[in-house]
Amino acid sequence: MRHRRALELPFQESHPTPSPAQAPSPRRDDALRPAPAPEAAARAPAELWLAVRLAASSSQPSREALERLGALAQRVTPRVSLDPPDGLLLEVQGSLHLFGGVEAVRREVAGDCSRLRLLCTLAVAPTPLAASALARAARMTGASASPPPITDLAQLVGRLSPLPLATLRWPQDTLERLARIGVRTIGEALRLPRAGFARRFGTAQLQALDRLVGRASDLQHLFQVRARFRRRRELLHELESQAALLAVLEPLLQELGEFLQARQCGVLALECRLWHRLVPPTRCVLRLAAPLADPAQLAALLAERLSALVLPEAVRACELRSGPLVPRVLDSGGLWQPGELGGGAAAQAPQLIERLRARLGAQAVQGLRVVDEHRPEAAWQVREPVIGSPSGRSASGRHQFASRPAVADSGPDDRRPVWLLSRPRLLEARDGLPRRRGPLRLLGEAERIETGWWDGAEIARDYYTAQDARGARLWVFREREPPHRWFLHGVFG
Amino acid sequence: MSRDLSGLLQHPAIWRGRSAAQLRTLPTGFPALDEGLPGGGWPQAGLIEVLPSGFGVGELSLLLPALATTTRRPEARWCAWVAPPLQPFAPALEARGVALERILMVRPPRQDEREKSALWAFEQTLRSGACDIVLGWLRSALPRQIRRLHLAAERGATLGVLFRPRQAARDSSPAALRIAVEPTVGGARVTLLKSRGGARGAIELFSR
Repeated sequence: MRHRRALELPFQESHPTPSPAQAPSPRRDDALRPAPAPEAAARAPAELWLAVRLAASSSQPSREALERLGALAQRVTPRVSLDPPDGLLLEVQGSLHLFGGVEAVRREVAGDCSRLRLLCTLAVAPTPLAASALARAARMTGASASPPPITDLAQLVGRLSPLPLATLRWPQDTLERLARIGVRTIGEALRLPRAGFARRFGTAQLQALDRLVGRASDLQHLFQVRARFRRRRELLHELESQAALLAVLEPLLQELGEFLQARQCGVLALECRLWHRLVPPTRCVLRLAAPLADPAQLAALLAERLSALVLPEAVRACELRSGPLVPRVLDSGGLWQPGELGGGAAAQAPQLIERLRARLGAQAVQGLRVVDEHRPEAAWQVREPVIGSPSGRSASGRHQFASRPAVADSGPDDRRPVWLLSRPRLLEARDGLPRRRGPLRLLGEAERIETGWWDGAEIARDYYTAQDARGARLWVFREREPPHRWFLHGVFG
Repeated sequence: MSRDLSGLLQHPAIWRGRSAAQLRTLPTGFPALDEGLPGGGWPQAGLIEVLPSGFGVGELSLLLPALATTTRRPEARWCAWVAPPLQPFAPALEARGVALERILMVRPPRQDEREKSALWAFEQTLRSGACDIVLGWLRSALPRQIRRLHLAAERGATLGVLFRPRQAARDSSPAALRIAVEPTVGGARVTLLKSRGGARGAIELFSR
């Protein structure tokens, strides 16, 4: 049997603590220091994380509160991550010398919390998970004061060891299985053999332990403040006409354009609220196909939208709210006119869709797609119109055709009509033959489509091409089941 | 004709009756029809009118080859269908070589102003310059509305195809090209009712 290797503790093996005698290189500024501090042997961590944990009893430990605190905390450090549902992680190593030490940074963040009337516990440790665990442990024991910071990698494992495993927020059944073998604290878990631990409790937990003690790096998503545009304008007198409203909105849109241009962003959604005296505000939402920042275009779309709006009352105030900002890639103007050699429609295409949708509704403008399905009614779908580069499109088109040789090459395609009725229309029949404005002449042979038994929409039909008295070619079918009714399902254009 | 003379005749300031040398066209896919049309195909910019004797007599098959070649070009713009009377069947279009990613369906919602919305959408798609071809189905259109559509199509460098009932052939129309389509035993007969600088008369097409 193989020798069971204990979980390495970073300060023992993987990161041996250098003794003063074998310090890697004498510091240049050694001479400047009057006396080496006793912590000279300590290893300063590359990162120092401050975990903020909101108390459940604070006013609203919601995502919104977290984001507000996160926005405030960006004063202290740019590296702020949210740790939902109730936590915040700040990397503060780089800010220590600006504020004057760990204690000062902690005071700053605590001040932010109390300003937002949030009750919270702060803990400092070299890894994000360790800081969180420390803060959670303090919360569990009910200690009101924040735990003393861990600023030394060498102390990390020693300080974490007595903490209960429950501070790591592992799944409950994992914790129970660990408790059953007598493992209740982080220290006990770290002493378990790696291979067995991974096998019995999952690699995710092993990786969590590695990140906890700094053996594996722990990348965090940086929190970015969501910037939105929001302006409200009170009107001097109440307005009723849409044209006058648009004139009032014009400067707001101009401001929005400048706001977006400064950030190199566009919006995908824009909401215009119109306040009335008595009834709730009228909302007018604009959804765009591509990020837009041009005030003139936005004004044109909004005008289209407003003209379709029925105002219940005169308007006394209006407000413009942007949706989330989306980075916008500016494209260069084309040398060719559209339609000329090389003149594509990349720029005009989204504008056209937006203009049509603003007036006709989002459902009115669609693209088409083929579905691999033998039932004609299920063989197509609508989709969002493709706004893309022609090169990518042609490549995908080739691929599509390569993967469907049966459709591209074989004969039956000519037997499919260009028009399909949304639902088959019953035809009258005489002597077993279909009629529509006179008898139909069946052309060619039948094509049998019998499928779909697995999902309850089974069909069993014999399809024919038929020509009516006026010369129109129709796609008709006869049910295979009695009473063998005839239906019209398509028209060849 | 000597080369010098033919070069001279290409000069844009010289206009000759029945000449369409400067017209940019799309091949129709039917050699017999190409010969009859001015410039040898559908105009690339402008409005044409198709007047079928009934729905489904082959009026769309007439345009499908041009649709297929246009949508497959690398620099293809959209091909919009405004207010189609039925649902276009995607597998059939794909089988006839039309690139479905370039198809844009515009269906005005069913309401009183449907016809008005369809006319507006038709003009917008033609004018935008985002489409190569716009197919539109209108029940009725006044000559001045058709004139607007034609100007919009020329501005957007788009081929607009207006499908109207055969009865509309009696009305005058500013469209550049008007053709009537009738079914025959093995195909369709296309009659050029009006064609600027092209031939007139009936042309027998495709056997089906």
